[in-house]
Amino acid sequence: MNTIIQNTLAFSAVGLAVLFLAKKYVLPTKKKSNKACGGDDGCGCH
Amino acid sequence: MSKQINVALIGNPNTGKTSVFNALTGLNQKVGNYPGITVEKKEGICKLPRGVKAHIIDLPGTYSLNASSLDENVVIELLLNKNGKDYPDVAIVVSDVENLKRNLLLFTQIKDLEIPTILVINMSDRMAYKGISLDIAHLERELKTKIALVSTRKNKGIEQIRELIIKHKELSVEPCLNSSTIDESYFDNLKKAFPNQLLYKLWLVITQDVNFGKTDRKNYEAVEDFKTKSKTDLKRLQQKETIKRYQFINETLKKGQTIDLKSAKDLRIKLDRILTHKVWGYLIFGLILLLMFQAIYDWSSVPMDFIDSSFASLSEWVKETLPEGAFTNLLAEGIISGLGGIVIFIPQIAFLFLFISILEESGYMSRVVFLMDRIMRRFGLSGKSVVPLISGTACAIPAIMATRNIESWKERLITILVTPFTTCSARLPVYLIIIALVIPEGRILGLSYQALTLMLLYLIGFGTAVGSAWILNKIMGLKSKSFFVVEMPNYKLPLFKNVVLTVLEKTKAFVFGAGKIILAISIVLWFLASYGPGDNFNNAESIITEKYASENLTKEELHQKIESQKLEHSYIGIAGHAIEPAIRPLGYDWKIGIAIVSSFAAREVFVGTLATIYSVGSDEEETIKNRMAGEVNPILGGPLFNFASGISLLLFYAFAMQCMSTLAIVKRETNSWKWPIYQLVIMSTFAYIVALVAYQVLI
Ligand SMILES: Nc1nc2c(ncn2[C@@H]2O[C@H](COP(=O)(O)OP(=O)(O)OP(=O)(O)O)[C@@H](O)[C@H]2O)c(=O)[nH]1
Ligand SMILES: [Mg+2]
Repeated sequence: MNTIIQNTLAFSAVGLAVLFLAKKYVLPTKKKSNKACGGDDGCGCH
Repeated sequence: MSKQINVALIGNPNTGKTSVFNALTGLNQKVGNYPGITVEKKEGICKLPRGVKAHIIDLPGTYSLNASSLDENVVIELLLNKNGKDYPDVAIVVSDVENLKRNLLLFTQIKDLEIPTILVINMSDRMAYKGISLDIAHLERELKTKIALVSTRKNKGIEQIRELIIKHKELSVEPCLNSSTIDESYFDNLKKAFPNQLLYKLWLVITQDVNFGKTDRKNYEAVEDFKTKSKTDLKRLQQKETIKRYQFINETLKKGQTIDLKSAKDLRIKLDRILTHKVWGYLIFGLILLLMFQAIYDWSSVPMDFIDSSFASLSEWVKETLPEGAFTNLLAEGIISGLGGIVIFIPQIAFLFLFISILEESGYMSRVVFLMDRIMRRFGLSGKSVVPLISGTACAIPAIMATRNIESWKERLITILVTPFTTCSARLPVYLIIIALVIPEGRILGLSYQALTLMLLYLIGFGTAVGSAWILNKIMGLKSKSFFVVEMPNYKLPLFKNVVLTVLEKTKAFVFGAGKIILAISIVLWFLASYGPGDNFNNAESIITEKYASENLTKEELHQKIESQKLEHSYIGIAGHAIEPAIRPLGYDWKIGIAIVSSFAAREVFVGTLATIYSVGSDEEETIKNRMAGEVNPILGGPLFNFASGISLLLFYAFAMQCMSTLAIVKRETNSWKWPIYQLVIMSTFAYIVALVAYQVLI
């Protein structure tokens, strides 16, 4: 039982992480509106 | 329904537009004491009494409405496009009390577009110091406007701006200069051809070289035909216009402004003479850099070690407390180690930005721009490239966007291409941890070798940027050099609030922006390191037990051997071994190889990746730094991170183009994939070669 919960949690976390990375880097980035700066670029832009 | 008033903040660079914007909207946009901080328009809402809302737009600074660069275009496009959704109901021209004369040129131009205009005279706190006094009533009369004397620093006059916005309907729209006086007959013709159009607006459209993408072209197409004058004639008329405007402004200021030079105590000139001196200027700058890097090192080592060991204990605690299983392992080995790999760098990043923002706020950064400009000219670039290169020390992305105020396309392109060489804050984590591992701790003249190495890396980055600019310049044959005026803002005591805000903002962006990526990558890596295909992985236990059956190993040793067998044959181990031949000559093992590959997402990922790989299957409580120090070179023996491989890694990170976000921005700014791909390939190949040579020479 415990193993099942642990595995489910772990693998859904891995799945989410893969999804996040795929959305960020692989899938074509949807066009962002030109306002503000580079957007969510992980660099903190100003 | 509440009514919304569109308000545009316009003014010369560095007059405090963004400060006024922040004061009105309560937002915190970046403010900095050198021109060109804002390159795109930013929007915000200011709540006024009676449910009225003002929609405020902060614009890039512009000297006049005769645009020459992209960011200036933003302003002109907005003002000429009467049907645009952002077309201002009222324009606020922000001027700086110390440069009123120059600032008013733009003001009179906007006034002549017959837009209701408020004049904000900012930095009034400097008046006493400079011996300036103003006759506001006289100025309001002559300039046919309402004036708010403001100091955003002292929080004075903001209320008055709000009141003027509410009463914007009462503002006069009478122009300052009768445009017909520029050339009577020409303007008469113009008036006949387009009876319903505003003359000055027509004139602006005719004389602009730039293309107004969004402006209502149809209306002006006919005007194109009307171009009865040659380009040089138009230029001449434009000059005449400027002269007329200055005559008017001088006349107005003669009575409206008195400057008592005796009461002005000007330290600035003396300071400037030293700080921009041909020799002293550079020496002082070098000294400031040295102190900065030394401080980053000295101040951050204690919090850094504390964070490192806290995360190690936390990971250990999780493993012991939670029930055994995949998720517990993921938490302890993947998530916590990965997060540790980012949190550990908060102190240094915070200190780096603390220094940068103090330098910017105090006005010293503009002197640095001036010093660098002198060097850049030798390499064929104008000073306009300096601002992007310097702001690249924070991050290449805003730096690349800052190239928008370079008029010459080629020069802009070159700057975009070389900017990623400047040492951005994402490299700092990698540099710091490797330097700590491979550079000895001694000191010379109170400066540690480690801090000196760090400074050297920054210089290498900047030097490479300038050097490659020079090469590109030769290849592309840059002809037109941008005209560059270094604006020397006054020295100011950095405002505590601005400094703290910048530091918080940047650190937050680092943690949450890069943090998300690092976390996700750590989770994926944990999975790839904890699972594997085939017998070698799945039967690791029996394989190893059999292999070492005769050797009488302790339980612990045996366990370690099993875990390492598993890791070697996990998915990541297999991938790592596949790329190993390519990086072995550089002195790295497959684990570093994986860290390098994942760093192509973002450089900061490096440390988190290693932390995750090292902690999978390890039971001891150990800090990241100690784990790295304990790694053994699988072929040569001895520490994996030694002087040769360490230097090789440092150089690789200095030169390689490892940042997806930067590539994406370059694509956006150059409008083609060609340039980012060139950047990626050329920079990374160069990095590889340099790292290879360094290792082979040093080993
Ligand atoms: N002494 C004084 N300094 C001010 C005042 N308002 C702004 N500053 C400083 O002036 C500098 C420029 O301010 P910003 O608001 O970035 O100016 P900006 O017009 O938006 O500049 P760009 O976006 O680069 O065109 C900053 O260092 C501010 O701290 C003021 O009222 N008094
Ligand atoms: Mg600004």
